[in-house]
Amino acid sequence: MSYFTENKGFDTLSATSENRPQPMLEARGLTKSFGGLMATKNVSLHVNPGESLGIIGPNGAGKTTLLNLLTKEITPDQGSVFLNGNCIDRLSIHKRVLAGLARTYQVPRPFHDLTIQEHIRVGMMPDGLFDMLLHGADDEKELKIAESVGLGGERAQQYPYELAMGDLRRLELVRTLATEPSILLLDEVFAGLTVKEIDQISELLTNRRATHSTTYMIVSHDLKALEPLVDRVVVINFGEVMTEGTFREVVADTDVQNAYLGTGWEQE
Amino acid sequence: MFAKGTNKGFLGWMIFGIAMLALPLFASSATVRIFVFANYIAIFAISWDVLSGRTGYISFGHPFLIGIGGYTTALLTHHLDMPLYITIPAAVLVTMIAGTLFFLPALRIRGTYFALVTLAFMELMYGLVQVVAPDITGGTRGLTGLPSIVTGAVSNYYLSFGVMFTLGLAMWLLIRTRLGTALGSIGMNEEAVRACGLNTTKLKLFAFTLSAMIAGLGGAMYIHYLGSIAPRGLFDVSFLFTILVACLLGGAGTITGPIMGAFFLTLLLEFLRPYIPGSERYLIYGVATLVLYVLQPRGIHRLIQITVNWFVEGFMRRKST
Repeated sequence: MSYFTENKGFDTLSATSENRPQPMLEARGLTKSFGGLMATKNVSLHVNPGESLGIIGPNGAGKTTLLNLLTKEITPDQGSVFLNGNCIDRLSIHKRVLAGLARTYQVPRPFHDLTIQEHIRVGMMPDGLFDMLLHGADDEKELKIAESVGLGGERAQQYPYELAMGDLRRLELVRTLATEPSILLLDEVFAGLTVKEIDQISELLTNRRATHSTTYMIVSHDLKALEPLVDRVVVINFGEVMTEGTFREVVADTDVQNAYLGTGWEQE
Repeated sequence: MFAKGTNKGFLGWMIFGIAMLALPLFASSATVRIFVFANYIAIFAISWDVLSGRTGYISFGHPFLIGIGGYTTALLTHHLDMPLYITIPAAVLVTMIAGTLFFLPALRIRGTYFALVTLAFMELMYGLVQVVAPDITGGTRGLTGLPSIVTGAVSNYYLSFGVMFTLGLAMWLLIRTRLGTALGSIGMNEEAVRACGLNTTKLKLFAFTLSAMIAGLGGAMYIHYLGSIAPRGLFDVSFLFTILVACLLGGAGTITGPIMGAFFLTLLLEFLRPYIPGSERYLIYGVATLVLYVLQPRGIHRLIQITVNWFVEGFMRRKST
């Protein structure tokens, strides 16, 4: 069964005609306002297969709103989202996850009464009620996934209240990875972490990309951590795409420095 | 298929089952009748726990579901003389259908709003059975002279216990499957469950239909045990609170906890009766509930778990030294 809806008349081949590969994820003209506040205004961007895209911008620029629009936690006023060239506007949150589009949250949202292994179990859960009822959990696979993020062995039986912030981020990440996403949206994945924890998460994301060719869209304020992880960066300011380019191009941009980075960042 | 520790828990169920089966052998007829009542409260508590204890959608409207089941079988037997083997399944079916129709829109709202909307259903039902066609429903006075399923305290005890035990064990096993984990995670963070690719509406609907089925069956059997049905008894806030307190005191979301809570509350009230015949015993009931809840917010179920673990660990330590 296909989780995609019909194309709704959008020209999905336009990308090919511009000599770039068909994007894995594409936003076209996403607009969302809350009362009088325009949170995102005509945002268009894309992520190519296997690419890692960074999203940066000042607080309140609309980065998290953009992620919410892509996953349909918020419905856009205008605009469309395409996954592998198919319009997914009609797909609900969970169907987008089943189609391969998954995310983590800025503030981790663990299940307080479930162990790490049970979190992975929820991430691996099949869609059908009877499947859930009649087929037992795959302990071996769950533990293997936990191991892949350094939460294996006895640690897999720990509860969220026993974990430090870095491990909570890893828990959030591993639960999302258990859904086997083809593209992963990471919202402020380094927030509140120590330098060591940032290194651990960065290593994990790099390894995952190398082994699974996972495509990323990473929202972060931690530019130093972000730099080695991304191929391209999009800057958002006041709900609009300000500029995009490689990390070095973007941080050298005077407008970006004035709006967000401040001067002298490049020299650090 | 089931989570770890199921075998140990199953042993507990078997011990509980054998003890309860043996109860009429040494208990008086009056005590057995108290246990019949406890069994029915436990059935209602299981019904509440499947929906509210697991998914976190706190229902104040369970008497509404119990009432639909009760009134369906009461009307069919009283007016149409239909046999119980038809009216009781019909009551279950009607509760599932009517309950789903009423509650489905309510599943889109959450928290206090859901609780209040379900409370409104209960009040609505209370008003409707009194005002709409009172000559059929019996109005405020209800209907009396309803047929019994079985006669005698012991037969009623075994019937109610059999149903409660079967439902309790089935629901306990259910929550130990992956489906149970999914239902439980909704109560912890629904957005995160959706972000894991699960259809929470489908899961909640399943929990609700199951809950309605148990409530309908329990309600239908309960009114045939009483032999009468009256709106004041069913759609009363104190009846609702008995179910809620049983679940919270026992340990919501565990199935076994609400059963323990139902037994604790019923037995406490009834065994206090000879010493404090007046309504003052509700004061002791309230204080005992409060103290227990403060002592262990996760309920009697958790308290027993801690105590058993303490004894087992102590025994193992002594054995190793």
